Amino acid sequence: MSQAPQRAYIEFVEVAKAFSGKPVLSGMSLDVRRGEVLFIIGTSGVGKSVTIKHLIGLLQVDAGEIWFDGRRIDQLDERDFPAIRKRIGMVFQNSTLFDSMSLAENVALPLRKHKGMRQKHAVVEARRRLEQVYMAEFADRYPAEMSDGMRKRAAIARTLSLDPEVVLFDEPTTGLDPVNARRIDRLIRELAEKLGVTAVVVSHDLVSIFSIADRIAFLYQGRVHALGTPAEIKGSADPIVQQFIRGLSSGPMETPGF
Amino acid sequence: MSATEPRGIAAYTAARIELLGTTVVSGARALWALWLLFIATVAGLVRGGRPRGEIARQMYVIGNRSLLFIAVTLGFIGMVIVYQTCLQFNKVTGDFSQVGSQFIRLAVSDFAPTLTAMMLATRVGAGIAAEIGSMKVTDQIDALRMSGVLPVDYLIVPRVVASLVMTVVMAILGCLICYVAGGLTAEHSFGVNPEVFYDLSLLRWQHLGLGLAKASSYGIAIPVVAGFFGLRAQGSSEGVGWATTSAVIGGSFAVILLDFVWSIFGFFLFGASL
Repeated sequence: MSQAPQRAYIEFVEVAKAFSGKPVLSGMSLDVRRGEVLFIIGTSGVGKSVTIKHLIGLLQVDAGEIWFDGRRIDQLDERDFPAIRKRIGMVFQNSTLFDSMSLAENVALPLRKHKGMRQKHAVVEARRRLEQVYMAEFADRYPAEMSDGMRKRAAIARTLSLDPEVVLFDEPTTGLDPVNARRIDRLIRELAEKLGVTAVVVSHDLVSIFSIADRIAFLYQGRVHALGTPAEIKGSADPIVQQFIRGLSSGPMETPGF
Repeated sequence: MSATEPRGIAAYTAARIELLGTTVVSGARALWALWLLFIATVAGLVRGGRPRGEIARQMYVIGNRSLLFIAVTLGFIGMVIVYQTCLQFNKVTGDFSQVGSQFIRLAVSDFAPTLTAMMLATRVGAGIAAEIGSMKVTDQIDALRMSGVLPVDYLIVPRVVASLVMTVVMAILGCLICYVAGGLTAEHSFGVNPEVFYDLSLLRWQHLGLGLAKASSYGIAIPVVAGFFGLRAQGSSEGVGWATTSAVIGGSFAVILLDFVWSIFGFFLFGASL
C-alpha cells in the first residue's frame, strides 16, 4: 500500500514523553491507516493532544519512534519539518487565528510561506478557500469580531489551504453549539470520503465519536488502552472504557487531580 | 534521637546542595537559550521575511506609548539631580559654574540612555512579553510554525529593529529634556545663569559614542529578553503574567548589566580623559 510495506501509514512505536519529570505518554503504540477517520479519546490531560503534536514536530519524543509514510520523523529537526507540515495539517483547539491579520490574510499566510505564492494570488486563493467553509463574506474582517464557530471554520480553511494528506483536529467541537459541532463533524467525514484525507481527531465529544469515527483509540495511563471500531468500543467489556463512554463519575478509572 | 540527627542534617544539606545545583543548571540553560534566541534574531535580521510594514507599526507602538512617559520621568530626574547637586555645592563652595557642564557630560554618557532604557524595559518589555506570551499559551506560536513561519523572524526581529531605533531616539530626547529641565531648575532655584549652565565645553565625542552605544545595546536587549520570556510562557493567563513580570525584571537587569559592561569598556578605552 505505502512505500514501506512493513510500516503503517502513520505509526507510533512505544512513544514516551514526560513533562518536567511527570510521564504523560509511556510506551504508547498506535497505527493510523491511510484515509481513515481515527478518533483519539480519553480524559483531559491523558496526552491526546501531546500525541498528535509529535507528528508535526511541535514536541519531541523522549523515547520511541514515529513513522510517517515510510519515513522515520521523530528525529527530524525544525529545518526538516516544514516539508512534513505541508502534508500534515493541524487544526488547533483554540482556533489560533492571528489577531493582527484579517481572515483572508490568515488563510493566505501558509500559502505564501509554504507554497511561495505572491500576496495577491494568495489572497485570491484564500477567499476561494473561505468560500468553501461559507466564510467568504467575512474575508476582510478580523478574528476578534468573529464567533467561536466562525473562527474555527476559518482556521479549518487555513489548514486545508495547503491540501494536506493528513489533518489533525484537536478537540474540533469543544466550545461549539450542537449545530456547529455537527457541521464540523460532517466536514471531517466529507474530507475523508471525497478527498481521501486521513483525519486524526482528538475529542471527548461522544456524539462525534460514535457518528463519524472509523476507528477509536482510547488512551489511558500513557498508552492505548483499547482500540477498535465504534461498535467494538461500545460493546467492550472493559469497565474503564465503559465508564468513559457512559460518562460515569465513579468507577475503576483513575483520573489525576480527583 | 542522636542517631537520626546527623542523618537529618546530612539529608538537609544534601537537599540544599541539590536545590542550589538545579538552580544553577537551569539558570545556565536559560542564559544559553537566551543567547541562542539572540543569535537567531541576528540570523533573522539577515534572512529577512518579516511581515511588511511591521517594523513601522512596532516603531509607532513603542514610540507613541512611551513618549510622554519618558519626557515626564527624565524631566523630573533632571530637576532632582541638578537641585541636589546645587544644594551640595551651595553648602561647600557656592560656585555653580561647573554644574551644567558636568551634568551634561554625565547625562550623555550614562544616565540619560540608561534611565530611558529602564523606563522602556518596563513599558515596552511588558507589552512585548504579554503579547508574545498570550500568543504562546493560545497555540498561535505553534500555528505560525505550522504555517511555515519562523516565530523569531515574524515576532522578534521587527520588534528588535523598531526598539533599537526608538530607544536611541528616546534616549536623545530624554537627554535633551533632562538637560533643559535641569537648567531651568538651576536658574529658578539657585539663580544660575543659563549661559553658564548650558556649557558644552566638557562634552567630547567619546561621551556621545558611549551614550549611543549604550542606547543601541539596550534597544536590542529589551525586546530580545521580553520575547524570550514571552516564548517561555506556559499554561494560561498565569503564564502570561509570569512572562510579563520576568520580562520587566530581566529587561531592567540587562540594562544595568550592559551599562556596567559599557562603562568598564569606556574606562579602559578612554581612561581618565572620560
